[in-house]
Amino acid sequence: MIGLTHYLIVAAALFCIGAYGVVVKKNAIAVMMGLEFMLNAININLVAFNHFLHPNLVLGQVFAMFIVGIAAAEVALGLAIILSLYRQRHSIAVDEMDILKW
Amino acid sequence: MILSWPTIILEISSLGIGLLLLILGLVFTSLKSKATLGYFSIIALLLMLVGSFYLPSGATQTFINNFYVQDSLALFFKQLFIVSALLVNTMALRYMKPHTNNRGDFFALTFFALTGMMMMASAAEFITLYIGLELMTFTFVLLTAYKKHDLKSGEAGLKYILLSAVSSGVLLYGFSLLYGLTGALDFSSLVALFAPTSSPLLVWAIVMVLAGLGFKIALVPFHMWTPDVYEGAPTPITAFLAVGSKAAGFVAFIRVFFQVFAVYSPIFMPLLIALTVLTLLIGNLIALAQTHLKRLLAYSSIAHAGYILLGVIAYSKLGLSAILFYLLLYMFANIGAFAAVAALVINTGQDKISDLAGLWKSSPFTSVVLLVSLLSLAGIPPTAGFIGKFYLFTELVSRGYLWLAFVAVGMSLVAIYYYLVVIRTFLSGSVAEKTSMTIPFSLKLVMLVSVVMTIGIGVFPGPFTDYLLKVAQAFLG
Amino acid sequence: MIIIFYLFSFLLLAFALGTVLSKNLVHSALLMIGSFFAVAGLYILLQAEFLAMVQILVYVGAIAVLVVFGVMLTRKGSVKDSNLPNRYKKVGALSAVIFFALLVRSIINTSFPAPSSPVVGANTIIQIAQTLLTQYAVAFEALGVLLLVAIIGAIIIGKETK
Repeated sequence: MIGLTHYLIVAAALFCIGAYGVVVKKNAIAVMMGLEFMLNAININLVAFNHFLHPNLVLGQVFAMFIVGIAAAEVALGLAIILSLYRQRHSIAVDEMDILKW
Repeated sequence: MILSWPTIILEISSLGIGLLLLILGLVFTSLKSKATLGYFSIIALLLMLVGSFYLPSGATQTFINNFYVQDSLALFFKQLFIVSALLVNTMALRYMKPHTNNRGDFFALTFFALTGMMMMASAAEFITLYIGLELMTFTFVLLTAYKKHDLKSGEAGLKYILLSAVSSGVLLYGFSLLYGLTGALDFSSLVALFAPTSSPLLVWAIVMVLAGLGFKIALVPFHMWTPDVYEGAPTPITAFLAVGSKAAGFVAFIRVFFQVFAVYSPIFMPLLIALTVLTLLIGNLIALAQTHLKRLLAYSSIAHAGYILLGVIAYSKLGLSAILFYLLLYMFANIGAFAAVAALVINTGQDKISDLAGLWKSSPFTSVVLLVSLLSLAGIPPTAGFIGKFYLFTELVSRGYLWLAFVAVGMSLVAIYYYLVVIRTFLSGSVAEKTSMTIPFSLKLVMLVSVVMTIGIGVFPGPFTDYLLKVAQAFLG
Repeated sequence: MIIIFYLFSFLLLAFALGTVLSKNLVHSALLMIGSFFAVAGLYILLQAEFLAMVQILVYVGAIAVLVVFGVMLTRKGSVKDSNLPNRYKKVGALSAVIFFALLVRSIINTSFPAPSSPVVGANTIIQIAQTLLTQYAVAFEALGVLLLVAIIGAIIIGKETK
């Protein structure tokens, strides 16, 4: 029988894959992909908790919808900044961003 | 359903003014009429500030089902945010002129950031808190990257949005675990549901929430964004970040750790103490090596997050009132320092510490402002900084953390050294090539207010501490 | 049910791993779209059909398309080796695995509260709408402002200047 723990472990794995992508990728767009995986993992967590433990209210699903909205805004703003930077320096490698030292 | 509008009237007016500024920016066609938008924003903020004193402040009021509260703590922080927005917008009047072309959107965005901060001060529920936090963060990202022909500005914006997205991912994972373990997200239900025993996932949740909020107040392992973003952002926005964003992070921190997680203080306290010591050490020691004034102030703001956290560690009414007092004086001192940086950037386009040489001759007024602000940040009497540190450290000692107070005092001495290096640079130095600086009136006004308040609070701290103690008492019950 | 769960989970994690391991940015973007579909599949298994639809509309329809646009607009010439890892590859992988192991250990060792009983015959979509527009009205409006800020930001920053 598939229970809550199965979903939580899948979500944890997705979160770690996303975090790995954020840490090791050079390309700023690839970093944003990793961030999307992290947010998706959180949504799976919320929906699974909602389904298995707290089905009387839809709080988890509502929270997940808020996160989807935030994710869309984040990608729009992030890509706008990436495009503007690309026009100026013709590269979006995160580790070449060294005018300001990290 | 009863809606209590006074709890949310400040947010609604801030939002409304922001939208109005956006529309007016499109309606006004001539550059000259657009130039009035900045003044309009300042008048609106003044009216909001005056109005906020007429709001009922005594009892806790809620907007809808305990999700949105207005208590005296929230009101204090909202007034703090309005004052900082007021000073920042006045500072930006002249500074942002070349970058905005007098459009209304810059000032509109500061109002949206203000709305987000106010939501963080009033939110008593994790989703509302999170949306307020992201509204503030996204607006700040945009304002940081606003000078889009400046490579530094864009780079700072990218770093800010990527790192803050990681931190909110961690924060949200913590929220999702909290939801799973209790089924609730509002603070009053969570407090009722929490049992003194803890499970491994709950420890994870607390650690992740600590990390996510620690990012906003620039606690040390999560401080990486601070120096870069502070250096790259336009100077008024840097001041807003250092003052407003940090205070908003602290109000969320206070609510979550004083109220929601109160049962679990044995779990998070050792971690918090370790992070505070680390913040004090790293913030102050790396500040010694800085050559840019804005980076120096960034590291000093990291170190100040450490000092303010000492009040959280004390975990008492006096500790909380010391935090509020410190945030107040920290605001005026920082705004004064950044206004002096803005004056320097407007005149010379530079912000290195070595560029300050000869400032005493070219602009005595700016020098006095910078001197008073830095002395206050260093904690030297008769400025307010001394009183603030004094309250924090004595409360810490009375709660039995003598060794921690020693660390903090030692690090304050290190801090005095690097502030004095800056002070020596601008008091001495050759003046042969320096002519007198022209400082716009609006900037002079900001500097005057910050100096008067810094010295005023330092000389007459009584009324402020009495009021803030009442606020702390009302909050902790 | 069990087979479907394992199928979707396997697809999700395989696509996600492919996204972060691929050296070609275009492949990464396409694999990411696949993983978003797999997440929607998991939502349907969890009886969150409305959220599954939102997931496909927003993630696949908007976010993935934006990312693909971003990939196209920021590349010149070959896309081979366009998505290389930096020098923290090994340390990053090791810490991700350790973090995952710790999380799994905590998940298994945690005893969760007893489930609440579901409301019989409740319509999820109506429930979501009611929650969003009553209890979460403030957050909902603020999210609208946030999207407005993102739009303004994309225009101010993304606009090509003459």
